[in-house]
Amino acid sequence: MKVSLNWVKEFTKANLPIGLLVDKIGAQLGAVDAVINLGERYQGIVLVKVVACEKLEGSDHLSVCQVDDGGKVKDVERDKDGYVQVVCGAPNVRAGMLVAWLPPGTTVPASWDGEKFVLEAREIRGQKSNGMLASAKELAIGDSHEGLLELNERDGKPGDDFVKVYHLDDYIIDIENKMFTHRPDCFGMIGLAREIAGITHESFTSPDWYRNQPSFAKGDGLPLEVQNELPEQVPRFVVVALKGVQIAPSPVWLQTYLSRLGVRPINNVVDVTNYVMLLTGQPLHAYDYDKVKALSEGGKAVLAARNPHSGEKLTLLNGKEIEPRAEAILIATNKQAIGLGGVMGGAETEVSSDTKNIILECATFDMYSIRRTSMAHGLFTDAVTRFTKGQSSLQNDRVVVKALELLEQLAGAQLGSEVIDNDHANKSAHVVPVAESFINQRLGLDLKGDDMATLLRNVEFEVGVNGQNLAVQAPFWRTDIELREDVVEEVGRLYGYDHLPLKLPKRDLTPAKRDALLETKAAVRAVLAKAGANGVLTYSFVHGNLLEKVGQDPNDAFQLSNALSPDLQYYRLSLTPSLLASVHTNIKAGYDEFALFEMGKVHTKSALEGNLPVEFDNLALVYTASKSAKAGAAYYEAEKFLNELARQFGLQLEYVPLKSPSEQDVVFEPGRSAQVLIKGTSESLGALGEFKVSVRKNLKLPNKTAGFEISLPKLMRAMNAKTYVALPKYPKVTQDISLKVKAEVTYGELETALMTELMKAKPKNTQLDISTLDIYQRDDDTSHKQVAFRVSIASYERTLTDQEVNAFLDQAAAALKNKLAAERL
Amino acid sequence: MAYQNQQIAEVADVLKKRFAELENKNDILRATELKALFDELKTLPSEERPKFGQEINALRQELQKMVMGAQDEDEALPAIDITAPFDVNTKESERPSLLPTETGSKHPLMTELEEVLDIFYRMGFTAVESREIDDDYHMFGALNFPEGHPARDDYDTFMTTDGLIAPAHTSTMQNRVLKAQKANLEQGKPVATVIPGRVFRNEDLDARHEHTFYQLEGVYVDEGVHAGHLIATLKTFLQEYYGKELDVKTQPFYFPFTEPSFEFAISCPFCDKKGCNVCSQTGWIELLGCGMIHPAVLHEAGIDSEKYTGFAWGMGIERLVMMKYGIEDVRYFESARLDFLRQFS
Repeated sequence: MKVSLNWVKEFTKANLPIGLLVDKIGAQLGAVDAVINLGERYQGIVLVKVVACEKLEGSDHLSVCQVDDGGKVKDVERDKDGYVQVVCGAPNVRAGMLVAWLPPGTTVPASWDGEKFVLEAREIRGQKSNGMLASAKELAIGDSHEGLLELNERDGKPGDDFVKVYHLDDYIIDIENKMFTHRPDCFGMIGLAREIAGITHESFTSPDWYRNQPSFAKGDGLPLEVQNELPEQVPRFVVVALKGVQIAPSPVWLQTYLSRLGVRPINNVVDVTNYVMLLTGQPLHAYDYDKVKALSEGGKAVLAARNPHSGEKLTLLNGKEIEPRAEAILIATNKQAIGLGGVMGGAETEVSSDTKNIILECATFDMYSIRRTSMAHGLFTDAVTRFTKGQSSLQNDRVVVKALELLEQLAGAQLGSEVIDNDHANKSAHVVPVAESFINQRLGLDLKGDDMATLLRNVEFEVGVNGQNLAVQAPFWRTDIELREDVVEEVGRLYGYDHLPLKLPKRDLTPAKRDALLETKAAVRAVLAKAGANGVLTYSFVHGNLLEKVGQDPNDAFQLSNALSPDLQYYRLSLTPSLLASVHTNIKAGYDEFALFEMGKVHTKSALEGNLPVEFDNLALVYTASKSAKAGAAYYEAEKFLNELARQFGLQLEYVPLKSPSEQDVVFEPGRSAQVLIKGTSESLGALGEFKVSVRKNLKLPNKTAGFEISLPKLMRAMNAKTYVALPKYPKVTQDISLKVKAEVTYGELETALMTELMKAKPKNTQLDISTLDIYQRDDDTSHKQVAFRVSIASYERTLTDQEVNAFLDQAAAALKNKLAAERL
Repeated sequence: MAYQNQQIAEVADVLKKRFAELENKNDILRATELKALFDELKTLPSEERPKFGQEINALRQELQKMVMGAQDEDEALPAIDITAPFDVNTKESERPSLLPTETGSKHPLMTELEEVLDIFYRMGFTAVESREIDDDYHMFGALNFPEGHPARDDYDTFMTTDGLIAPAHTSTMQNRVLKAQKANLEQGKPVATVIPGRVFRNEDLDARHEHTFYQLEGVYVDEGVHAGHLIATLKTFLQEYYGKELDVKTQPFYFPFTEPSFEFAISCPFCDKKGCNVCSQTGWIELLGCGMIHPAVLHEAGIDSEKYTGFAWGMGIERLVMMKYGIEDVRYFESARLDFLRQFS
């Protein structure tokens, strides 16, 4: 929201140096995005009278002019009369004209933000030209480039500084708009002036015409009728017809006020509507009366507010034809649509250079309706910006007073009808009773009620102070004051938040409880990083193709309706595909062997809790090696990482064949993958294994790739404290035992059976461990395999002998021969 | 899979029979009948196209699954003993091993988050993660955003086809946290919780903007809590985090769920307010939004705003890490690139 400091100063002193003022605005109103020193752009530019003007020989458009600057500018070549010569290419240049002169050494204002163009004295076709005479465009005041900007004799005299004459020694302060979402009054200079007064602790009074209830005279000659079919969405519809309008360019001073705030001057009538909007925040619209009458039935101009008829179309001022949405607010005659209410006027009733009579509309439109219309049609105008904040419907008649004054002054407009005020506005005054203590408690301050009242009265609140209680009535333009907390914010903001006491809340010694899931994730992260794996984060949304490439069904996944791209269309069903999709680029980057892990949330349409999807917190890891010096399946490498987690967290895991994989686990190759169970239960922690051929091929994975995906909450529940085993005092005896079994007997079966038998056979009060030495299969006997174990045992009572150990090993072997047809080698 | 369109159903039967005979299963995806169906799609009137297109795609997906299935059967490696600690016939020097510790790393965002949570934990705040898929009530309704309110536009939210929302802020958890800890207040204890989580915004990516990033929310409610407490708490946290004294400044802002609302900035800890690249020569870094919790939000959680007041804030984590290390592109965080990740420990 751009603010002109000079314009604000018409209403309040604002005497602070610009730096301090900007700081205060930033601290108490809203963040300042930019401060533009407008004055420096117009330094050195003076008003001059063109005294003589002759066509330049040999040119069809250049003229040689002598200009009178009253001797103001130094160091410039003058003739015997003291005039300066300037060559000018404008078609409208003539003697007697008052214009702006850019002497040598000045910068063309329109070039200021780009490559600055600094003028020099030079020769054009043999004639000296000292600088240039300026058009509106060059002065950054408008788009007009066809001729010189002609200045009015009443504005100033030759030699006057252009910057002073038009109050361009100004600062434009750009305040971030987001702050004003609930402050419709801050979209006009009066509102901003009031705020600046408030934060600088100055008292502010709005101009009389804004504060006082107006009474209008009646005009005649232009029959006008209003039909408001949408009183709830158009709570105020003020309309008046004006006659005798003379369309002309606005006076230069008005044009500069518009242009410095980024609004393009067009003609006096349109400019007045924009000027008044910039001043008050209330948008206005002007229609050509005769065009409206021609489009109405019954010999009068009819303005109606209604919803569109089915299939109805409208051509807007910007040339676009639209079919307004069914619930849009349409401005229409009694025959056809002529404008999109509160958004943009129609092309057919546009004010143009031959307009003689106009209709002025000053209406209030429902903010939600305007927002929906604006978004439906992609139209974002100055009017939309203001209406979507909810302009007060109590200001329209006052705003019309100012508009009428300016339209008469600048365009000769006279009342042609009565001022029709279709008024459904809610006029009830809202008083907020609030205790002094309520405000102080929430700010941490100790202000007196009278001081609070002064701050509020400065910005035209009415405040009654009764002991320790305030009765606060906000002025009509403050639609944001409803609750006591709103008053708290107002007092705090106007007082200044840098006076708040900075004290920490007190607490007792009770330690805050740590969150189990977050702690577990931190512990897992540490273990896996230490194990050489790298923690990654990947997007929650994936391409439908990725799901298909790994055999998952996009129909099970939550789908975004407004995805940024197809790459990010589905909520992922599991983490593993995202990790797999990250493998190839890292291999191409030169990493031959690595493990990636991620902890994140996954969702599936088939798991809901109430109306919300269940959130599964998973851990996934993928190991891969594009060049491995080691033989052996990737499964075992990935298993090593899972076993490390088991070791650190005391998990007792059991690996069984992956028979019926869940939706999440379809990526795994059944023959080379396991369901990971919590030992002694049928509770599945997740799956571990290598990936299907199709998955490997689709994602360009090295053959040696494997991984696991497990549930973190289940891991948490399965954690056990580490157990410690007391050290036997007597030396260990170690012996190896090699067993030959049929190939179908799994290692797990054999190991479990061996442990069982050893525990039965061993002497009492001993500590026994086994480790695996080797798993061997002969080329010429693939129906059998041999597993070698190392058994170590120590007693708490005495030294064991080799024979003793061998004896119970034999015992165990014998039992295994019965159970599993195992042969001791 | 049953196809409603007669034509498509017939093609499906023909292709499925042919599939069994094919030498190279992949060829089924190049079948002329399938291509003819796609060509046919273009000639249909526009109302019929979506349904026809959907069924052709379903057929293509089914065939693709069959190709993948055949591939998986034919080319699968032999089964292994999944109960064993290593593969059969592997030499001792070739047994599976973990990777060297020096190649391992934690994700820098997670490391930073752990540090931030630790400081808040020491200050007396519990923690809970936010959700990654949520509903309109928690995203907007419980936070005092009226229906159709322009403030909803500022959040650029992703929505699912079922009307669920990808959270654009961690404030989705405020209502849940307040409800869950209401009992604390009745026992004379405060509600003090921080909420880390992943959030999503429908924004185009560039070096400074991501659509997926991490925020940390904070909530503190008790009797007699005021705006001075808010500023002091955040100042204390940031001084602890940066390990030095800092100046702070606030600017008025607007959130529907806080009143008053602020943007909160600290003096640049990298140049001690003298001006540098990190703070764009201004000497200040704007870090977070905060404010006093709006009474409507407290009421929605069943808390009496007359008796209890509180403050809340939201802070982005990526920015902290980028400033700390001078990381030039926010997109690296979710890139899974080892070149980036292995620079951190």
